[in-house]
Amino acid sequence: MVPAQQLPNPMPATARDRPFLEPAYCKGCLRCVEVCPKGCIAPGTAVFPGTGLIPVELRLDACNGCGLCIGACPEPFGLRPESEVAHAAEAYCLKDPTELFGEKVVDGPPSRDQPAEAIALEDCQALVIKGTYASAIGAVLAGCRHVFGYPITPSTEGAELMAKMLPKLGGAFVQAVSEVAAVNMMYGAGAAGLPSMTFTSSPGFSLMLEGISYMIGAEVPGVFVNIMRGGPGLGNIGPEQADIKLACRGLGHGNTHALVLAPSTPQEMLDLTMEAFALSFRYRNPVVVLGDGYLGQMTGAVRLPARMLRPGLPAWSVWGDRAHRTNLICSIYLAEEDLEAHNLRLEAKYAAIGADEQRADPYRCEDARVLVVACNTPARMAKGAVETAREQGIAAGLFRPVTIWPFPIDALKEALPHVDHLVVVEASPGQLEDEMRLALSHAGITPPPITSVRRLGGILPQQSEILAGIRETQEVRV
Amino acid sequence: MSTFYDHFERHGHGKGLADHTTHYCPGCGHGLAHRDLAAAIDELGVQDRTVLINPVGCSVFAYYYFDVGNTQAAHGRAPAVALGHKLSNPDSVVICYQGDGDLASIGLAETISAAQMGVPITVIFINNGIYGMTGGQMAPTSLIGQRTTTSPNGRHPWMGQPLRVAELIAELDGPVYVERVALYDAKQRFRARKAITKAIRMQVEGRGYAFVEVLSECPTHLKATAVSAEEWIRTQMEPIFPLGVKKDRVVEPWFKRPARSFDPETVLALCGAEPADNGDGGGRAPRHPLGARDRSVKLAGSGGDGAQTAGLLIARAAIAEGFDATHIPSYGPESRGGTSYADVHIADLEVFNPSASEPDILVAFNAPSLARFAPSVPEGGVILYDSTVIKEPGEMPYNRRILGVPFTGIAAGLQRPMVKNLAALGALQAATDLLPAPRFLETLREVLKDKPSTLPVNEAAFAAGQRAVAGMRG
Repeated sequence: MVPAQQLPNPMPATARDRPFLEPAYCKGCLRCVEVCPKGCIAPGTAVFPGTGLIPVELRLDACNGCGLCIGACPEPFGLRPESEVAHAAEAYCLKDPTELFGEKVVDGPPSRDQPAEAIALEDCQALVIKGTYASAIGAVLAGCRHVFGYPITPSTEGAELMAKMLPKLGGAFVQAVSEVAAVNMMYGAGAAGLPSMTFTSSPGFSLMLEGISYMIGAEVPGVFVNIMRGGPGLGNIGPEQADIKLACRGLGHGNTHALVLAPSTPQEMLDLTMEAFALSFRYRNPVVVLGDGYLGQMTGAVRLPARMLRPGLPAWSVWGDRAHRTNLICSIYLAEEDLEAHNLRLEAKYAAIGADEQRADPYRCEDARVLVVACNTPARMAKGAVETAREQGIAAGLFRPVTIWPFPIDALKEALPHVDHLVVVEASPGQLEDEMRLALSHAGITPPPITSVRRLGGILPQQSEILAGIRETQEVRV
Repeated sequence: MSTFYDHFERHGHGKGLADHTTHYCPGCGHGLAHRDLAAAIDELGVQDRTVLINPVGCSVFAYYYFDVGNTQAAHGRAPAVALGHKLSNPDSVVICYQGDGDLASIGLAETISAAQMGVPITVIFINNGIYGMTGGQMAPTSLIGQRTTTSPNGRHPWMGQPLRVAELIAELDGPVYVERVALYDAKQRFRARKAITKAIRMQVEGRGYAFVEVLSECPTHLKATAVSAEEWIRTQMEPIFPLGVKKDRVVEPWFKRPARSFDPETVLALCGAEPADNGDGGGRAPRHPLGARDRSVKLAGSGGDGAQTAGLLIARAAIAEGFDATHIPSYGPESRGGTSYADVHIADLEVFNPSASEPDILVAFNAPSLARFAPSVPEGGVILYDSTVIKEPGEMPYNRRILGVPFTGIAAGLQRPMVKNLAALGALQAATDLLPAPRFLETLREVLKDKPSTLPVNEAAFAAGQRAVAGMRG
């Protein structure tokens, strides 16, 4: 404890509503000096050693307890009514305020994780719906009742369905003033501990990146369904996969990562959106569901799961009740060592995700000599091309990453020993290939020759082009 | 005092004086506004329900002091974060505490839109006419002529005139209570406390959005003592930012949100799910022969031709038949009219390529669509076109079955131009036997179950389309 400046005791022990001041807590701004009608408070003369500031001096002989000085003091523990202060007379040195001001009302019971509850669903016929609808239904089944968004083609139908469904489920769809506002509404809902999501497309996703960085920094869950369209800039509304880089390597500023799931059918739009919520809360981190423009608009058969969820409430949530009052959601760590420690915690989390959450869907990989790597809708075309190649006597297989970050390198490694060629198929200028190459490099694997089939501008690689890409690898070998 | 922590453990890890003093400079208005806010929360007894949204700016660390739920927001986004909180837990009392750079510059869009939504949150706006945390730059509320580090020669009108936010907010329909107060003397401080208390009460009582602008001293960046900063606010700022109540609407409590529902029946009904059939469950019953592993159809026309509806009908019917099927729409940029193409694939087990770049079957509703896509139909394919609107189909590829059917004429005969797509579908069925006719009709009944009165004319169009093709065969 820093010793307080020794002053003559200015306050009779019996006084009420007179000011009490612990000099250590006074910054000497003199607002109280100015306001006192009796001239009881004077600018100090001595620098307080602990602060380098000059506290005021109280001489309360003429004090009538008007309290104006107390109202003028900007410091919470500055000038205070003596009546609030126990043992004021003895308060000459800096004491524990608990002792000075009395014990505070105890907090409520500490918050505990309220687990989610699974609710059985009746067996239903397959729905015939488009990908964005499937994703919206997946979110509702995962217990999401709060959706924030801004209209953007080709993702808007998901938001539209939510606007229709959520009011009937006690939830809310809010059309925000911008994607920037939408992501921050998600930050608020996630901070309160509830599942929330948005539907967006590439330019909108760009706008959300700042907020995503904050969510990752503050460890707030939330699900982003990004139906990628043609870019850069306004581009067009055709399907592209050129946000892979953004989702895997560019989620705003700082040391950020999020699980990136890549569905390839309307069914997976539902399944992986549900999964995204579970992962988002398991890791207290946003999760990105990355689809292409086709997938958002494509209608197909979608079966509902056997169970839906009523979400719980995590112990860390800033819910707004007694049990959660002590919680704080923030991403600011002023002291460098604190921020470093926080980053190391995040790194450990990313490592755990990398180890435990890799997902892939290998197809005819067991004996494949030409391995096609593709995700989203191009993986469907690639599957068709693999089938045709097999019919033509080429041992082709498809390796479909379901998580792009983390890249499913363990499964790829298993398939590689007998592979002579990798053909990466994507509607982007090599962003999927970059993720694969990076993962191979980190794993210390020297891959076989890699060629590519790429389309850009809102065009997906077609089955015939992929087949040609597969056949080319055979020509090279001859 | 209970709304402040006993120990400021989050301030410098609570070491030394940090445990009981703020990080604010001597004489800073934030401290006074904090005390007002704490007193208001105490008076209303809502400490346990309060969620404080901490902004970016000097008050980013409000969570060091306030013993309430705390969420720290990105610069300017506090009202959006507040809405996320309030809509998640409508019982919480959500307070945005923001400075002038945060609220009136970078976050203006969020500020205005949240105010206009009118959801009960409370916004405390600290206007000190300058950026504090970043070191004395010009704020949107800086006065004309005010010297700051980014207006070293004084603020010129072309740098923007000081923004009167309270008046701006009061002009909106959403807010119920807006007041501007100051802290420069005892009277103003009394009013400030009252205003902040009232603004939170508006929320607690569910009456609506409330906004209090507080003219606050920043002695450090005004390069003044606290007392002369008070004087500056009174003499310089107040004439530009007049104090007083800007809006005080009498509103009955209205904000009441229903509880979130997790009733499985409601959820399934909203999803449009139907109970599974007893028996096959849409599964492996004997199916219509597809004739190939994968069949693709392109329906091409203008918006309003019904290409998408017909495409979706084919996909639904195929899935009901036990196949896998997909539909992808493609539109021109126009909301109405313009081009409208539907790609449909049907596969025995799994559709691979969902786009129909080389369709086995083309249905063209107009001449440009026919001209554009007919060459992409492979040998052995079928081309159906609307012979009512395409009198002269032009040169067509060889070895394709080419059928002109009067889709529009059939629909006109039925007095319902809208059903030409069903005429096309009937023709497609008869010409290709892609799926059995009863399957199409059953799917049609399902799709139209909410509009049963339109069913007969649709069925009639389908039948007429079939007949037209059958007649050609004969």
